[in-house]
Amino acid sequence: MPTKLVNPMNETPARVAAPPVRMRELKGTTLGLLDISKPGGSFFLDRLEKLLKERFQIQNVVRASKPTYTKPAPENVIEQLRGVDAVIEALAD
Amino acid sequence: MLVVLFETDCPTCQMTIPYLNKLARSVPVIGISQDDQASTERFKEQLAVKFPVQLDPDFSLSRSFDVAFVPTLCLIDRDGRLLQSHFGFDKAALNAIAVRMGCGPVADEFDGQPASKPGCMSRHLEPKTDGDSPVSAMRSGRGSPASIVEVSDEDDLVEYCFRAFGDALPVVPPTTERVDKMLSGTTLERMEVIAHIPPCYGEATVEKIAANAVMAGCVPEMMRILVPLVRAVCDERFNVHGAQATTHFAAPLIIINGPVRHELGFACRQNVFSNVARANSTLGRALQLILLNLGGARPEGIDMSTLGNPGKFSYCIAEHEEENPWEPLHVERGFQLRQSALTLFAGEAPHGVSEHNARGPEQVLKSICYALATVWTHRSCLSSEAVVILCPEHARTIHRAGWTKQNVRDFLFENTGVPLRAYENAADAEGSQRTSNYQEILIDGDRCYRKFASPEAIKLVVTGGTAGKFSAVIGSWAAGPRGSEMVTYPVP
Repeated sequence: MPTKLVNPMNETPARVAAPPVRMRELKGTTLGLLDISKPGGSFFLDRLEKLLKERFQIQNVVRASKPTYTKPAPENVIEQLRGVDAVIEALAD
Repeated sequence: MLVVLFETDCPTCQMTIPYLNKLARSVPVIGISQDDQASTERFKEQLAVKFPVQLDPDFSLSRSFDVAFVPTLCLIDRDGRLLQSHFGFDKAALNAIAVRMGCGPVADEFDGQPASKPGCMSRHLEPKTDGDSPVSAMRSGRGSPASIVEVSDEDDLVEYCFRAFGDALPVVPPTTERVDKMLSGTTLERMEVIAHIPPCYGEATVEKIAANAVMAGCVPEMMRILVPLVRAVCDERFNVHGAQATTHFAAPLIIINGPVRHELGFACRQNVFSNVARANSTLGRALQLILLNLGGARPEGIDMSTLGNPGKFSYCIAEHEEENPWEPLHVERGFQLRQSALTLFAGEAPHGVSEHNARGPEQVLKSICYALATVWTHRSCLSSEAVVILCPEHARTIHRAGWTKQNVRDFLFENTGVPLRAYENAADAEGSQRTSNYQEILIDGDRCYRKFASPEAIKLVVTGGTAGKFSAVIGSWAAGPRGSEMVTYPVP
């Protein structure tokens, strides 16, 4: 007779979200740059912003920072980025 | 009149109700439930709510009070003007409201509950979801039954469980019979949801906790600790979401205090950090399996720890209160000596400090100061905390000289620093960028930066064998509200 086991693993249904449509070009878009607040993040994102504007004619960049890298972004940070075409989240130690 | 907005599945709201019942004996209190009628009725019955409760199905009341978190207490005068509001649980705030309403204080400092505890996000601000989402399941307070896995006789049961469940160690197969037996250790309903475990927010029903406890080798009586332990590890202040996903070494260290140590056989003598007792080893392992299997921070995936920590197999100690000449940890954190409690600290592995020859407190503690100065990395100041494990012989040497626990903490605080010369030619090194915030002090004539932000950043625990002069320092992960805070929960 088979042994019956109580499944000890997570069986909570995951929320499924379809990925957004891939961007075809960057020219004229508004991008969000989210710094997770690690010490070197701003250096990296400053450089990235410069390159995006110079090479890809990004129209606008919205910069936001999480208050701490240890926790998910709070609602007010997500709110700052609402409406942009895409977000690049980055860190650098 | 006092209006309280609450959710039925919010542990902080549940903690607040008995105090509001006390208030309701002499002043008007009105509750506003953010949940449906059935959950609210069950809540009222379970917690013996002594004041009228109104439902808020479209959250219009919640919006009109502009609540962000629950519980929120709003003190309103006869003309409907808001006099005072407070969110979360806070004994001082509850007492201030009681006094303002003309009653005596309702929250005793030593009644077993913590001084304060944050609440949950107000229901109307929660993300909108459909169907059987974690959030809608949270609303009901009841979870889904675990599926039953059938393993044929041809399969090796232990090998099957090794492959399918757990980590890199074999586990006890969670057969339906064993899980039923484990559930006999609690009066809670099998489907009750205790928490949703970050970072994947798996539903920790009593049944799922029991199945993982079986795998870890726990006895059914351990459910008494496991339920508050799961609540504690999901306390927002502890921030297990970050601690489980970080590249740092952190693992949740469980510290057990009070009579439950002896009642369930926790070891607090020699080898307290290792393989000495079933209670320590299996409770620590059960927590790790729960975090892994329900939280989803798997060591080959979301858990990104660069080097890991042997404590991720099991990391559970008990304080040797009988050898502690001062008040034990849980008493310091607001509980009574006769109560049992568990404390969680997101810590590194212990760093040993040997001192066999010192005759006085200063020399013993100086050795510990040098270990403390290297927590995180030596140039980094003010951002870390540490647990100092004093072995009984060291504690005795210090106490014999008449020192209090506060004396010990103050001495460690005042004498732990990083010499200024460590920052020379090291402008790019970690910790060097924030020196403008550091405080310069003199330690033995050397100019140093103070290592810790306050004496309270140093937590003291006395434990271990009575022979040997070996203490230890356990460094924190990112500490405080920007990282992980130590939490202590009562054990019933």
